[in-house]
Amino acid sequence: MNKWLQINLTTKEMKDFTVSEEILRKFIGGKGVAVNLLWEYAKGLEDKGVSIKEINPLSPENMLIFATGPVTGTKSPNSGRHHVMSLISPLTGSIGSGNSGGRWGAKLKFAGYDGIMIVGKADKPVYLSIIDGIAELKDASEIWGKNSLETSTWLRNKEDKKRAGVSCIGQAGENLVPMAVIINEEHRAAGRTGLGAVMGSKNLKAIIVDGDKKPRIAKQDKFEGKVREHVEKLKENGVTGQGLPEYGTAVLVNIINQNGLFPTNNWQVGVNEKAELISGETLTEQYLISKHPCWGCVVACGRKTRVDSGNYKLTYTEGPEYEAIWALGGSTGINDMGAVIRANHYCDIFGMDPISIGSTIAAAMELNEKGHIPEDDLQGIDLTFGNVDAVVELTWMAAFRQGLGYWIGEGSRKMCQHYGAPDLSMEVKGLEMPAYDPRGAKGIGLNYATANRGGCHVTGYTIAAEILGDIDRFTVEGKAELTKIFQDFTSIVNSSVNCLFLTFALGLDEYAEMIGPITGWEVNADELLETGERITNLERMLINKLGITGKDDTLPKRLLDEKMPAGPSEGQTVDLATMKQEYYELRGWRDGIPTAEKIQELGLD
Amino acid sequence: MKLFVKVFATLRKKYPEVNDLNPLVLEVKKGITISEILEQLGFAISEIHLFLLNGKKVDAKTIINDNESILSLFPPVGGG
Repeated sequence: MNKWLQINLTTKEMKDFTVSEEILRKFIGGKGVAVNLLWEYAKGLEDKGVSIKEINPLSPENMLIFATGPVTGTKSPNSGRHHVMSLISPLTGSIGSGNSGGRWGAKLKFAGYDGIMIVGKADKPVYLSIIDGIAELKDASEIWGKNSLETSTWLRNKEDKKRAGVSCIGQAGENLVPMAVIINEEHRAAGRTGLGAVMGSKNLKAIIVDGDKKPRIAKQDKFEGKVREHVEKLKENGVTGQGLPEYGTAVLVNIINQNGLFPTNNWQVGVNEKAELISGETLTEQYLISKHPCWGCVVACGRKTRVDSGNYKLTYTEGPEYEAIWALGGSTGINDMGAVIRANHYCDIFGMDPISIGSTIAAAMELNEKGHIPEDDLQGIDLTFGNVDAVVELTWMAAFRQGLGYWIGEGSRKMCQHYGAPDLSMEVKGLEMPAYDPRGAKGIGLNYATANRGGCHVTGYTIAAEILGDIDRFTVEGKAELTKIFQDFTSIVNSSVNCLFLTFALGLDEYAEMIGPITGWEVNADELLETGERITNLERMLINKLGITGKDDTLPKRLLDEKMPAGPSEGQTVDLATMKQEYYELRGWRDGIPTAEKIQELGLD
Repeated sequence: MKLFVKVFATLRKKYPEVNDLNPLVLEVKKGITISEILEQLGFAISEIHLFLLNGKKVDAKTIINDNESILSLFPPVGGG
């Protein structure tokens, strides 16, 4: 199709553009194209004498991109997703990036567009509708101040499109909370890095999309044959065919805890005695309504859930995912599933990142334990590990920037700096690390340190090999290559755009079997891996421009210097220096910056 | 000697009361292999994807020698 929409919200100017075949061939689509558009934009600003490092991420100059890829909206399994990026993240100062499920990505394609590129700021709240190829900016004053549930219902009724994709911000994004996210289909999120705050800073409340344009497939018969094969593989695989549909991602609580790398009490130890209470098994037995697939998904890891008893009753919500359970319930030591579900629900409806929220609350608990928070700032909250109410209350307060909730929303890096104990912040580049202690799996430590958007697990999910697979988790040997391959493969997943969980059953050969027949290109696995490397490198070149280099590819002191005190990962620290040196050599980087040779080799000059 | 066995995810269908806080307690002979224990419990080796003995990754051939060891069994699981 190849049609993108460019919007300047300040001037309200909108126009269509196409991405060149050369760029598509080199970057596929989705994240790859988004990174390219951001790069061109950054260079354009530099030509005008503006260094992107100086741009305020909440200013009109920040660029926000919604992107789909060639696989999105086709019959290839799990292809309803979309990727969102911003030039700068208000939480981290690095790049903003998030990937979301639901149906919005497919619906954007059906509405007639591959992606949307947005700069500027509307003078008052607006929403964008793209219905049957027609893009319009409309007044959002009636929904400004409403949560994601009310916003989505109002928009679907207003546009009379009951099955439309709705991507929106809740009150957290409107309030410019740095860890606000963009929510679609009420419970899916382009989460992490504060993309919701960027959208809020533009006075853009929502984007509703619908239509019936079918994606073009170059080799229909070959494609359909491969789709059948891939669906078979997904159904036969134990993870995608049984584990995930039955228990959701929450199934990881027990396995990570049994291996002793379930960070508890703000990463002070890796074993949690009551993890069972917040496990996937408990979720299934006591809280599950049913499994729930995204658009076009054959796995159905999604959860429809409810809370029937206790203080946090809820008749319907979705999730929570493993990392959200860990952050809200494990790191804080509360081990209360009902409260975790309620706090996660608030993250959905107000639009915040539960990983960053939970991890920051846990950091606040340790700050308080060590006497760093003045009593007045607590405003009566008993901020100790294990206090269930504190987690639920502070989540709400963060969305509305109230009391200590202001600092929770700022993120653990700024909060711990403010209270004079920066080492208690468990993040990398300002993004809170999720639910796997690298002292128990060294490769994920290298990935946390080097992922371009910060302490992110999905960038290069080596846990699949180190904990769920056969790789020795304690060694540093071979982890540089493992991390690089995972990261570059993930770049392809985010550029096709489909679901990362396909990679439990499908490899790059299968991705070539999707992308080839859809586009008509001759592609193979090796070429795709190089394309993924190209995308990872261009994103790295962008964050270099934002001032992020080797000094930022690091881990918190706790993980480098403090031995894991107990459990199956006892005695371990992370030898990051060794892994990092090997990783930079493999990557062709010097001090976290791609060399001229590498840039030329990848055709990025 | 005593052996604690914990089963997880779909393996609980056979032992619904067993969990991390409530393991199976077996009396076994010192030097028993894990595959012999699986036979006792009614699991096929192919059902188990991950064997952890006292938190360390092992395989079905591993011998258990220590009293009050903890054996954790997982089917194929994943997430992210």
